[in-house]
Amino acid sequence: MMPNIVKFNLAGDDDERQISRQLAARHTIKKEAAVAGRLTIYDTFDWRLFHKSLVLFASQDRLMLRKLGQDRMIYSHHIKPTPCFIWDFPEGDFKRYLEPVIKMRRLLKCADLVFRATPYRILNQDEKTVARLFFETVRLPGRKDSRTITTQLWVKPVKGYPKYSRKIKNQLEGLGLTSSGDEDIFFQAIRETNQDPGSYSTKLNIKLHPDMRSAEATKIILRFLFHIIKMNAAKIEQDLDTEFLHDYRVALRRTRSALVWNKNIFSKETIARFKKNLSYIGKISNTLRDLDVYLLNQATYKAMLPPVLRDDIDPLFAYLKKQRSTSFRKVVRSMTSKKYRKIMQDWETFLNEPQENLGAESDAEHSVFDLARKRIYKQYKNVVKAGNRILGNSDDEMLHNLRIQCKKLRYLIQFFSNLFPSKKINILVGQLKKLQDRLGDYNDLSVQVKYLYVVAEKLPSNSSQMKKTLVAIGSLIDKLDTKRQSEKESFAQTFTRFSSSQNQMLFRELFELQSETVVS
Amino acid sequence: MRTIALYSNKGGVGKTAAAVNLSYLSALAGAKTLICDLDPQSSATYYFRVKPKLKSGAKGFLKGGKSVYKSIKGTDYENLDLLPADFSYRRLDIAFNQLKRPKNRLQKILKPFKAEYDVVILDCPASISVLAENVLNTVDCTLVPLIPTTLSVRTYLQLLTFCKKNKIDTSRIYTFYSMVDRRKKLHLSLMEKVSRKLSHVLKSDIPYLSMIERMGVYRQPTVAFSPGSTASKAYQRLWQNLQETIFIK
Repeated sequence: MMPNIVKFNLAGDDDERQISRQLAARHTIKKEAAVAGRLTIYDTFDWRLFHKSLVLFASQDRLMLRKLGQDRMIYSHHIKPTPCFIWDFPEGDFKRYLEPVIKMRRLLKCADLVFRATPYRILNQDEKTVARLFFETVRLPGRKDSRTITTQLWVKPVKGYPKYSRKIKNQLEGLGLTSSGDEDIFFQAIRETNQDPGSYSTKLNIKLHPDMRSAEATKIILRFLFHIIKMNAAKIEQDLDTEFLHDYRVALRRTRSALVWNKNIFSKETIARFKKNLSYIGKISNTLRDLDVYLLNQATYKAMLPPVLRDDIDPLFAYLKKQRSTSFRKVVRSMTSKKYRKIMQDWETFLNEPQENLGAESDAEHSVFDLARKRIYKQYKNVVKAGNRILGNSDDEMLHNLRIQCKKLRYLIQFFSNLFPSKKINILVGQLKKLQDRLGDYNDLSVQVKYLYVVAEKLPSNSSQMKKTLVAIGSLIDKLDTKRQSEKESFAQTFTRFSSSQNQMLFRELFELQSETVVS
Repeated sequence: MRTIALYSNKGGVGKTAAAVNLSYLSALAGAKTLICDLDPQSSATYYFRVKPKLKSGAKGFLKGGKSVYKSIKGTDYENLDLLPADFSYRRLDIAFNQLKRPKNRLQKILKPFKAEYDVVILDCPASISVLAENVLNTVDCTLVPLIPTTLSVRTYLQLLTFCKKNKIDTSRIYTFYSMVDRRKKLHLSLMEKVSRKLSHVLKSDIPYLSMIERMGVYRQPTVAFSPGSTASKAYQRLWQNLQETIFIK
C-alpha cells in the first residue's frame, strides 16, 4: 500500500513562502506550476454513494471515485461531461462498480468547490523526487474573497523513500504546524453548503414509545410519511429521475395503509374522506409510473429477445417514450390543480390538529404496543390463510389478494418495527420480502404481458418496420409469459419457507397476545 | 492487470527506451503502472534516477512476496512505480534453474501486483534462457523491437523457432520496427519484406533519433522531457497502436 499522506493546517496563504524557505535550508526543493480548478462533488438525492462511504467528484475533465477518509482513488477516468445516469458512463470497470450503487438514480451536484494547489518536489542528490508537498487552498466558488474551507499543506511520501517525508514531517512539526484532523473535505464542503448527508431516507425509522397513545403514534407515522411525500412531490416536476415519483407513490400507499391500520382511531367520516381523496391522488400517476417501469426495463427486455429481433423492438420504446411525456405533463398539471392542493392542505391540517374525541369505545387512547401486536398478528394469520388456500389451487386473483395482504403486513411491521427487537424483526422482514418479491414479479409479469398485448394493437401496423416490431413484441410476450409461469411454479416453495414453524414461532413470540392461537 | 514485456534476444535494439517511454505513457493515461527492470545493466533504473538495488537481490526476487514488494520505488511521475534492477540479476538464469519448477515462477512473482497495478511492463535482458521462457509464458503480450537489418531479423526468426521447439505460444508475441533510418534503402526494403512475410508486426515504428539517446543525459523518458518531439510522437503512436491491436480486440 501507498504510505499515508500527512496533512497540516495552515493559517493562511502567506505561510507557503515562509515554510518553503525553511524547508529549502535543509533540502533541495523545487517548486512546480500551481494547479487551480473547480471540484464538484456528486451524489444521488438519497445519498446512495455516501451510504456506501464513497465520494464521487469531477475535476479538470476527470471523474474520480474514492472512499470517504481515504486519498487513494478507486477510479480516475477522463469522462466529460459528467454523466447524469449510470447508462451515460462509458463501458468499463468504473461503470460496473457504480451500477449496483446508484442504479437508476440521477447524479446531482451536491457541492461545488474551487481549489488552488502548488506542488513542490523534494529531491535527493540524484535529483530524484523523494517526497512531494502540496500547498492547497479550497474555497467556495464566487469572488476571490469567498469563504475558504481549508488551507492545508500535504506531505506526500514517494514509495521507497519514507525517510525523507518523515524528516519533513518532523521539521514541520518543529515549526509549530499542527496536523489536520481526519475529517474528510467532503464533510466540510457539505456542511458549508448547509446539507446533511444521509438526511433523506425512505426507510421508516419512526421513534415510537410502547406506552404512547395509538392516535398520537399514528399521527407521528403519518407526519413522517407526509414529509417524504412533500420532499419528493417538489422534485417530480423537475423530472430529474424516475425515483422521486416512485418514493412519492410508496409513501402515499403507506399513508393509506397507516390511516386504516386500526379503524377505531379516527372517526369513520375522517377515514372515509381521506381514503377517497388519497386514493384519487395516488391514481393520478399510475400510468406514468407504469411507463417509467417499462422504459427502465428497456435493456432487460432487449436482452430477452433473440439477437435478430433486438433492434426491431425500438419503435415500441419510442412509442412508450412519447406516451410518457404526455403522461408526465398530465401528472404535473394534476399536481398543480386546485383540487390537488386542496386535498393536500386538508390532509396537512388534519395531521397538525389535536385528536378528535371519539368516545369510550375508540382505540385512540389505547397504548400503541398492544394494538400494534394484535393487528400485526392478525394480519400475519390473514397472509398464512390466503397462502394456504393458493397452495391447493392458485388463480391470478388469489395471488393478487395474497400480494395485497403481504403488503399490508409489511407496512404494519415497518410502521411499528421500532417497538420490537430489530434482529428478530429483520429476520421476519427478510422472509416476507422474499415472498413479496416472488408475488411482485409474478404480478408485474402478468401486467406487462397484458399491457404489451394492448399496446401492440395501438401501434400503426402499415409499414414493414412496424410488422417486424409486432413480431418482436410477440416474442417478448412469449418470453415474459414463460417467466411468469416459472414464477408461479416456484411460489409454493417460497411460501412454505415463509410459513415455516420457525417463522410462526417468531411471529407468535413477538406479536401474539394471550388467548390467541396460531393458524396452521 | 495487463502485463507487457519488452524483450529481444539481441542487445541494443531499443528495448529499454521503449519500456521506459511506454510505461510513462501508460501512467500518464491514468493507469497505475509498474516497470520491472530485469536487466542487470539496470538502464531503466538509471533513467528513473533510482539506485539499482533490490532488498535481497536475485534470490529475494525469485522468492517473490514481501521482499520484492518492499523494493518498489516511486518514480518522479504520478502512477508510475519502478522495481529496480540489481547487479545480482546477472546470475538470475542460474538461480531460476535451481528451482523445482523454473518455467512459471515469474507468474507467481507478479501475482501480488495484481491488486495495485493496472499495467506491468517488464524490461528484459537480451538472452534466450529460462528467464525468457518465463517471460514468454507469463505476459499478456511480448513486444520485440526489430531493427530492420539482416542480423536483427535473423535473431527474431531464431526466437520464433525457439518458441516452437519449447511449445511456447507465439500468438502473444508482437514486433515493431525500432531504430529505423528511412534514408537507408536496406531498412526500407527489409521492412517491406518482413511485413509481408511475418504476422503480428505493429504498424508504428520508432525512428533512429538522438532525442531518444538523450534520455541518458536528462535521465527522464523522452516523452517527459520533450513531449512534442518526433521521437515522443512515435512512442505515443506505438502505445496507441498497442492498445488498438492487442488490448481492444
